[in-house]
Amino acid sequence: MIAVIGAGPAGLAAARVIALSGVAVTVIDAASKPGGQYWRHRDSVTGYKAGRSRKYFDSIQNHPLITYINGAQIWSAIRKDNSFHLNYIQDGVERTLHCSQLIIATGAYDRALPFPGWDTPGSMTPGAAQALLKGHGVVAGTRIVISGTGPFLLPVAVGLAEAGAEIEGVYEAQSPLRWLQSPLALLLNPEKFFELVYYAKKIKKYGIAIHFGRAITQFTAGTAQVSKIRSDLTMNNLGTRAVNCDVVASGWGFVPDLSLGGILGCSQAVDGDGTVVFHVDRNQKSSIENIWVAGEATGIGGSDLALVEGEIAGLSAISRRIPLALRVNKMRKQLFARALQRSYPVGNGWQDWLEDDTLICRCEEVSCSHILDSVNELKAEDSRTSKLFTRAGMGLCQGRVCSRNVCELISEAKQVPVVDSERIAYSNRPIAAPISLGSLADGIAEQ
Amino acid sequence: MKRKNPDAIVIGAGIVGACTALALTNAGLKVLIIDRGSVASGTTGAGEGNILVSDKDPGPELTLALKSRDLWFDLQEDVGDTFELEAKGGVVVARRESSALMKLADHQRSAGVTAEKVNGAQLRELEPYLHPDISEGVFYPQDAQCQPMLAAARIIQTVLSRGGELVSQARVTDFEISGSSVSAVITSQGTFYAPVVVNAAGTWAGEIAALAGSHIPIAPRKGFILVTEPAPQYIFHKVYDSDYVANVASSDADLQTSTVVEGTRSGTILIGASRERVGFDLSMNYEIVRKLAEQATSLFPVLRDVQLLRVYRGFRPYAPDHLPVIGEDSVVSGLWHSAGHEGAGIGLAPGSAALLTDAIVGRESFMDSNPFSPNRFAGVRV
Amino acid sequence: MKKNVSFSFNGSEYTGEEGQSVAAALLASGLTQLRSTRFNEKPRTIFCGIGICFDCVVTINGVANQRACIVTISEGAQIVSSQ
Repeated sequence: MIAVIGAGPAGLAAARVIALSGVAVTVIDAASKPGGQYWRHRDSVTGYKAGRSRKYFDSIQNHPLITYINGAQIWSAIRKDNSFHLNYIQDGVERTLHCSQLIIATGAYDRALPFPGWDTPGSMTPGAAQALLKGHGVVAGTRIVISGTGPFLLPVAVGLAEAGAEIEGVYEAQSPLRWLQSPLALLLNPEKFFELVYYAKKIKKYGIAIHFGRAITQFTAGTAQVSKIRSDLTMNNLGTRAVNCDVVASGWGFVPDLSLGGILGCSQAVDGDGTVVFHVDRNQKSSIENIWVAGEATGIGGSDLALVEGEIAGLSAISRRIPLALRVNKMRKQLFARALQRSYPVGNGWQDWLEDDTLICRCEEVSCSHILDSVNELKAEDSRTSKLFTRAGMGLCQGRVCSRNVCELISEAKQVPVVDSERIAYSNRPIAAPISLGSLADGIAEQ
Repeated sequence: MKRKNPDAIVIGAGIVGACTALALTNAGLKVLIIDRGSVASGTTGAGEGNILVSDKDPGPELTLALKSRDLWFDLQEDVGDTFELEAKGGVVVARRESSALMKLADHQRSAGVTAEKVNGAQLRELEPYLHPDISEGVFYPQDAQCQPMLAAARIIQTVLSRGGELVSQARVTDFEISGSSVSAVITSQGTFYAPVVVNAAGTWAGEIAALAGSHIPIAPRKGFILVTEPAPQYIFHKVYDSDYVANVASSDADLQTSTVVEGTRSGTILIGASRERVGFDLSMNYEIVRKLAEQATSLFPVLRDVQLLRVYRGFRPYAPDHLPVIGEDSVVSGLWHSAGHEGAGIGLAPGSAALLTDAIVGRESFMDSNPFSPNRFAGVRV
Repeated sequence: MKKNVSFSFNGSEYTGEEGQSVAAALLASGLTQLRSTRFNEKPRTIFCGIGICFDCVVTINGVANQRACIVTISEGAQIVSSQ
């Protein structure tokens, strides 16, 4: 039996192609509705090319060969005999799903960088503003500033503007001229031009001001400081401007969620943007037999690539031929994904923005100076040891938000580059989600 | 850069190495600490911070533990209140029959341990959330707790402030032995000369000893610790069941679990304990996680609604007779060992350091160190 | 037309729309703080909005550390600030 973990674009594409080929498949997802982050919705998906989601939702909701388990948070997984056992919590009860083949499509989450005041209410990620709007019909604030890097800032700004929020400005760290470094990617992805036109029209319609080479480097309730920054994110100090706003939505690319594949032993590597991703072959097969990985977990590349990878993984899992057109599509989209990396790098310059008391670990309230003390005074040489001394990364989120930042902060302080094994270590967690001791004690209620 | 050679080299920047380095420094020696990683890279980084007298049978280890426990408070005076040292007290409960526990308590009392028998009502006062069916136990007010990684780091910081040095990322590859005395330690970061070398390499002390041609049989005994989300204070002391004592002393290679539960300053609850001999295999085992959860919730039903956040694993360094190895090597003079403290490394570290330092500088100590002597392995092949 | 769902938070009554998360419903009602941090008592609310950061944790019907951004509001739920 085939199971797909994740009901975002990649997971939905995999499940759909499997079902249409006449094979049964189960999709298991933590959210109550399908769509993942990219197609988050209340009644229907909105935004650019929203219509293409319809057939996938139709499949997962109606296709007789697709079993959909929603609201299910997987906390661990084991390989036993020739099957995988996925242990999950649904409605407070622990259950297990057995499968012989597994497609992992767990997606990614926004990367947040610390800055003075990033822990103040009103400061959030663009993903949060998007989720509130698309998933719950709630506009995050009245005067909103969007900051960070990457094309994701645009749909967030436009969506909020359409819902009536005043967008004070979109502050993109990088210059659009960086795209000139990737002419082949642009040439081979001409449809992206239409997407750009779509957003350009919306930006004009709502009068959204886009600023390049700028970032929000400070926030107190009601006011954000905009700084001019260089491409490596260091501050230019040529002028900081104050902007009135009640919400700052700041995001710096994405971080793939590796927990489940890591627990099952799928081998990992560090991608060009410093994220840790799973090794897959051209058919999306991981290093572990009978496990495929599709979407952001193989490398941040956006929804187009996720859809293609999902379809390839699905076809491969049922041993069907992969059509040449699909492979060509994947190649085009991978080129585009690499162009995204080139156009929106996240350098270490954010460390310039920090003050001594700026929190780096939000959960355990560990400040920048506390972490640097652990290096200078207590002789911590890596993020793992610093974590033992300061508790950074030991809180509820288990380092999902801060580990990379702690690691890079220490690397800079010690002038020693981050080694891949450290990146891989902080990206893996044997307990993928919190589970009550009572549930653990009671064992598993078989489905 | 020409530096004056140290008077002593300590191999290992964990809790035993740190305490030993400080004791030697306070005795007037210039100490160099080396480690293949950095501070608290080994078992110290996976420990709970137990400073117990309650779990030991009367004998040399208990004598060492009693002294060492008091020395922890002296350390706090010397280094500062910077590692969450707390005379928390331990409560050992008898789940099934209690005669073995009570007999042990009697013996321990005669050896100088404060062990107060407590009945159901008293247990409820000590631990209001304890399962109502548990009606017999022993309270050990001398048991204490610290944050072991911070302790190692702060102690080492003190050593450095008193003229000591730390070289990290230095893997020991060989020893230079002149005649039958050690004269230098050869590492990946260079060669360091000293007439006194202390092997405080914990779970890897056997490998270090072997480089000097010495046989110190230290093996790893894997343990798991569960860490919960921050919770209200449900647990007030270190609480464990009497199975713990039996397991510590067992030579069984198979998995053994006992129940150990305690709260921490940060609000999380730590749950142990498991012991198994599986070599240096750090892999996860969800069955052990479940078993520990089951045991903890049977002692404290309120924990059923508390969530597990993470699990960590480590290797306790143990010798076949479950006693630490403290003393001068039987063949290579100038080479001293302080290792194999099993699950009691934190608690026994200052006492071991005092015992070893007394021997190194040639003064009388608080106890006879013979039971811990490395000589007991001379000629023994494991 | 979405059904209204009533619930309480820290003793006060709130309503949200059916299907909304606790965090979304409270934000829509003008609440900009869900809890205070346990060491420095600083105000926190939604940060990542998708269940990753655990900043929005609340205690729902006695169960602690529930992520308000992913739990759907239910009629009569008793919600209080965590920590």
